[in-house]
Amino acid sequence: MLSEDYSTIYNLVFKRNSVFVGSVFATAFAFQGFFDYGVTSWYEAHNKGKLWKDVKLKLGDAGEDEDDDE
Amino acid sequence: MLSNLAFKQISKRGLGLKSIAPRFLSSTSTALKSTYDSPDFSNYLNSNKGSSDKSRDFTYFMVGSFGVLGAASAKSTVESFLSTMSASADILAMAKVEVKLSAIPEGKNVIVKWQGKPVFIRHRTSGEIEEANEVDISTLRDPQNDADRVKNPEWLIMLGICTHLGCVPIGEAGDFGGWFCPCHGSHYDISGRIRRGPAPLNLEIPEYEFSDPDTLVVG
Amino acid sequence: MTAAEHGLHPPQYNWSHNGMFDTFDHASIRRGFQVYREVCAACHSLDRVAWRTLIAVSHTNSEVRAMAEEFEYDDEPDDQGNPRKRPGKLADYIPGPYANEQAARAANQGALPPDLSLIVKARHGACDYIFSLLTGYPDEAPAGVVLPPGGNYNPYFPATTSQMAKDVTTFLNWAAEPEHDERKRLGLKALIIVSGLYLVSVWVKKFKWTPVKHRKITFTPPKK
Repeated sequence: MLSEDYSTIYNLVFKRNSVFVGSVFATAFAFQGFFDYGVTSWYEAHNKGKLWKDVKLKLGDAGEDEDDDE
Repeated sequence: MLSNLAFKQISKRGLGLKSIAPRFLSSTSTALKSTYDSPDFSNYLNSNKGSSDKSRDFTYFMVGSFGVLGAASAKSTVESFLSTMSASADILAMAKVEVKLSAIPEGKNVIVKWQGKPVFIRHRTSGEIEEANEVDISTLRDPQNDADRVKNPEWLIMLGICTHLGCVPIGEAGDFGGWFCPCHGSHYDISGRIRRGPAPLNLEIPEYEFSDPDTLVVG
Repeated sequence: MTAAEHGLHPPQYNWSHNGMFDTFDHASIRRGFQVYREVCAACHSLDRVAWRTLIAVSHTNSEVRAMAEEFEYDDEPDDQGNPRKRPGKLADYIPGPYANEQAARAANQGALPPDLSLIVKARHGACDYIFSLLTGYPDEAPAGVVLPPGGNYNPYFPATTSQMAKDVTTFLNWAAEPEHDERKRLGLKALIIVSGLYLVSVWVKKFKWTPVKHRKITFTPPKK
């Protein structure tokens, strides 16, 4: 990156405290969603074959259209 | 040491020695006269010195990341405390009642308990549906079309609590072929609308849905 | 005295949910529930497990509904006040084999079969203990042990003892810790976030303190 890019970032985000704090909160919000998705994906890949959704697949179509949330 | 210095300062001012005063007010003169040796800070200085925007951005980025992680954790913590106020799974599991409709013949009333309250289910005949639709709603105390009170005109589902003082009305009774409250004599018609007596409102319609053509879920 | 106090520790087995981030084997929970239903449920209750909790853990919604409906539960009395019965619903809890403790004792020579809902948490060695107990029955009672009439040393398990004991133990562990899988997922999230916070906070602390720590103050007394 060129040094102008750094000053652009500085002027866009960091210069005003209100913008800085606002972007921190906005990033936190987005981060939560991505982080949860990432961790869950890894967790389910790590435990592949043992989870309920794998068992359900083996059962065949018996419980296909059910809502399992209740 | 400091108190010694302060003492000297005060005593000199107290003596009104004006010639010495600039020594304490002007930094330039102090610097000129100073015997202070500047320590070697090169070990501690940022090697990025020169491209100052980069190091400044990096600092703000680190502080910002600290804020992001902190805000995310704080949000999760607050959320988990708030979620303890919502209904627990065993309560939610009992919040709905399922009724098999095939067991209710046409022209019959069934009362089921839902969250401790009676729910009237009436399988109405086509004559009763017509009767409910013929009423001129402008004459009613609580004007409401029959179509607004049912999802499927064959099935009338209402809370069985009189809107007057909360008694449970009797089915297939009263002057309008619907329900009659024995406590103070409120008459409801075949759509559960108040027609005569002290009650101010029509019988209440709970949340319900037909999960399949044969199953009614109240709640 | 418990077995642990005697110094009899069960061996450690390699459970599929042993690891820090390992979930239960849900296929095993499903088989284990069947073992419970066909074998254990003859004497042991499972009072704290509701039918609904099996959904999306080991069985589908319709399977659980069908199982619950096989049992009768007390309903509201009718208009004349006579007690009524109704088929089970998802919100009901799994019924026990006996009406009350006295009936359970009477049917088991005075010994009360413990409720199995939390048995894995209630025994030293947890899963390992339950598995060892289930597979530990010798084919014949040791010499000198007098069994009460009706008592049984190898009561039900045929050849696949080990497999069935493993599955039912996994099931009972799920019953005692239904939050297990979600707990480990949240634990993973917490570990990542907290270690990230720690590392960044160390950096920020150093950044803030560097000028303070390396500040040098000198005082040269003025010459008289």
